[in-house]
Amino acid sequence: MTGKRLSGVTAVALAGILMVVLMAAGCLGSQPSGSPASPSQQITVTGSTTVLPIAEKAREAFEDLYPSTRVLVSGGGSSVGVRAVGEGTADIGMSSRDLKPEETGMYPGLVTHHIADDAVILIVHPDNSIESLTLDQVRGIYNGTYTNWNQVGGPDLDIVVVGRDSASGTREFFAEYVMNKEDFTKNQEEFNSNGGIQQKVSQTPGAIGYVGLGYTDGVKSLKIEVDGTPIEPTLENITSKKYPITRPLFMLTNGEPGGAVKEFLDFIMSEEGQQIVESADYIPVQG
Amino acid sequence: MKKEEPAAVRSGYPGWSGHSWTWSELPSTGTKRHIIDLIISKLLFIVALFAILIVFFIIGFLLRDGYQIVLETGIWNFLAGVDWNPTGSPPSFGILPLIVGTLLVTALAMAIAVPLSMATAIYIAEIAGPRTKAVVKPAVELLAGIPSVVYGFFGLILLTDWIRILFDRPSGSSWLAGSILLAIMAIPTITSVAEDALSSVPREFREGSLALGATRWQTIRSVVVPGAVSGISAAVILGMGRAIGETMAVLMVTGNAAVIPDPITNVFSPVRTLTGTLGIEMGEVAFGSLHYHALFGVAVVLLAITLAVNGLARLIIRQMQRTPARSRAPGPLMQAVHGLIPGSLPHRAKRRIIHPKTTQKFAFLLISIGVVIVLAALGAILLEIIVNGAGAISLEFLTAPPSDLGRAGGIFPAIVGTLYLVAGALAVALPLGIATAIYLIEYTADTRLTRGIRAAVDLLNGTPSIVFGLFGFAFLVLFLNFGVSLIAGQITLGLMVLPTIIRTTEESLRSIPKSLREGSYALGASKWQTVWRVVLPPALPGIITGAILSIGRAAGETAPIMFTAVVFSNRYLPSSLFEPVMSLPYHLFILTTSVAGADDQKFGTALVLLVMVLSIYLIAILIRRRYNRATVINNG
Repeated sequence: MTGKRLSGVTAVALAGILMVVLMAAGCLGSQPSGSPASPSQQITVTGSTTVLPIAEKAREAFEDLYPSTRVLVSGGGSSVGVRAVGEGTADIGMSSRDLKPEETGMYPGLVTHHIADDAVILIVHPDNSIESLTLDQVRGIYNGTYTNWNQVGGPDLDIVVVGRDSASGTREFFAEYVMNKEDFTKNQEEFNSNGGIQQKVSQTPGAIGYVGLGYTDGVKSLKIEVDGTPIEPTLENITSKKYPITRPLFMLTNGEPGGAVKEFLDFIMSEEGQQIVESADYIPVQG
Repeated sequence: MKKEEPAAVRSGYPGWSGHSWTWSELPSTGTKRHIIDLIISKLLFIVALFAILIVFFIIGFLLRDGYQIVLETGIWNFLAGVDWNPTGSPPSFGILPLIVGTLLVTALAMAIAVPLSMATAIYIAEIAGPRTKAVVKPAVELLAGIPSVVYGFFGLILLTDWIRILFDRPSGSSWLAGSILLAIMAIPTITSVAEDALSSVPREFREGSLALGATRWQTIRSVVVPGAVSGISAAVILGMGRAIGETMAVLMVTGNAAVIPDPITNVFSPVRTLTGTLGIEMGEVAFGSLHYHALFGVAVVLLAITLAVNGLARLIIRQMQRTPARSRAPGPLMQAVHGLIPGSLPHRAKRRIIHPKTTQKFAFLLISIGVVIVLAALGAILLEIIVNGAGAISLEFLTAPPSDLGRAGGIFPAIVGTLYLVAGALAVALPLGIATAIYLIEYTADTRLTRGIRAAVDLLNGTPSIVFGLFGFAFLVLFLNFGVSLIAGQITLGLMVLPTIIRTTEESLRSIPKSLREGSYALGASKWQTVWRVVLPPALPGIITGAILSIGRAAGETAPIMFTAVVFSNRYLPSSLFEPVMSLPYHLFILTTSVAGADDQKFGTALVLLVMVLSIYLIAILIRRRYNRATVINNG
């Protein structure tokens, strides 16, 4: 009995050690099939979740082209990207907004590379009969002037205003471009990602939200009226700048890029890279 | 009682030095033992100070980046301002709505979670047969392994929609949704620890009560629960720590509108919590801006609230430890605590009309309903994941790196990364945590220092995981220049689970009867020999429970590793501790929030994460069961 209990302690200790060893062994012993030997150099890319899909897709193609280079991509947000590049914890930062004065003050060496454009799309629930809004109506909804869809030509239904968090680059763009810096209504529900807004709007009949181009599954994109003509956010209309709400997307480096970092940025700006931009639902900068 | 105990001291057992003592070999002079003892006690002391050190470090780093906001706005405008609009013109940084939101969501969550947890804990410890217990206990622990991202995802998709339709509201994102979700998340933590506390009440108490003619329910209500009250309070504090500190799940379901509910009891109002604010804004805030400093100010306030809540809770516990368990006149604090425990308010015997047996039936019915609710919540979430995730699982999915943003390929690097992170976190936290607990329980009396250490541990326990993430970023990634790396994530996660391990280890050491230690000393064993051979072995189940809870947390947390350890995607496995890794919860978070059209992979990732946690739990549970069987004989 006593022996049993003591061996119980040993068993626990042994099991613990065994588990760690197994983890280590299992991990080191089984490199996934088809993965090349560890590359000789790596570059890290971090920042805006809006730009992330481009970097991620470009990474796959780039690593096939340059097997000796490894690219590590992570998200976090525009400010994380700026900070990481400025602090030197990443080689390339991604940002969906212009640099702020505080940031250029802190990291004077930052260089911006305009790699793509994005449109901001107004989305509503698929059952909502509303088809188009003017920018003034959008502003009225978001500052709390209109609280029911029948005030803007829709059904008799309370409006649920959904937007991004106040640190978001997308919201900042929206606040400047659509809201003219007016305050949002206090009842605005806030999400920290395009996916969150898309999910919320797709299941809430009265909701309205704004997202990037790639997030329009399961929701209805609104046309925006410009001089009385409703403009649909099609690729063509966005590229020709007919659709009014578009913004640039950036990659940042600390100083002029060189070596593998330059190769990666050049790749994104190449024809193949810009096709990747398009396939990720963004607008290429070099048509 | 425990006739075999001396044998435990007699039989050889390898100590830390690797040298195996046997009874006949013990040095007669005792000097060598004395020196070893001295060294060990000093080591333990140093390790125990570590908790205080971490707290000061965290507070220091938060203040370093947070004090500027108070200089700018004034302390009163910051704390009592009702407008949180950091990007307005002019910006306003009033955090009163966030404070109110945090308190409301947590309070309602605890009101839901504590009764359900107590019902489940009482059921497992006192009512269930051994077979049922063997199923229900691990099932509840498993709930703790479901990562908060998954809860948030479910809350966003199912719970808020359900609330919207059921109560006919324009939007379901609300205070109520947040509280329900937090309650489900806190239940396993509270239940596990409370159940351990109930189980450690000596059998003689129950037998004595039953022998006096009390029903089983009367015994539970008047003997077992009061006897375990300190452990139960610890359980509630741990659970509350989990609830206050939760970021990911809350920010997905509360709507995050910075308003104070009007009227204050309107549970359908959207609210915004302090953690939610950090969670959604920290990632994209401009480094060094006023908004950035305001967020650090928010983190400081969050810590202050945690400290206040913990202080109150500790006061309650101390009050209860002073009052004997079966005192006739419970104080007001006692009564408040009793109010939390359904049916435990002492009533006057003279007024009793209902037969005790009837009361017992009714109480057991309520308890059963509670258990059913808990298990149904677990079942629903598991079923949803298994049904939707099974289709995504294939050999390729498990062994290949991801491609096309995770819409194709597999999650092998994420699986490995998570294993590394969890193993590293345990390697950091287990030795530190167990050593701290041993020092607190075995090596010191109740001094100012130990009170300080315990306060630090409580404070750490209530520190939101996102704050650990910020601290890890500021201290490990930048200050120590580790960069975004595996080791930074492991240490951050390790610090995060440290309090859980300390608390549970302490609790199980405390439940070891004094007589065992005295018996060991009487046979001439030294302090350390007693701890290592007599006290630790029977305390193992509690320690393992703590480790299980920690694995569940470490494997599922997103917030602490977001800024410290992870990359979105990685074709290769890390070859050193200083490289970043992929991890399952972060991968799931990205797939859920930033990648459209990856539903299969999302559920597949969730399923793999669950299965992984499940198997780790299973190993631990099997070990514990084997061990329990060995001690049952001793206690019988």
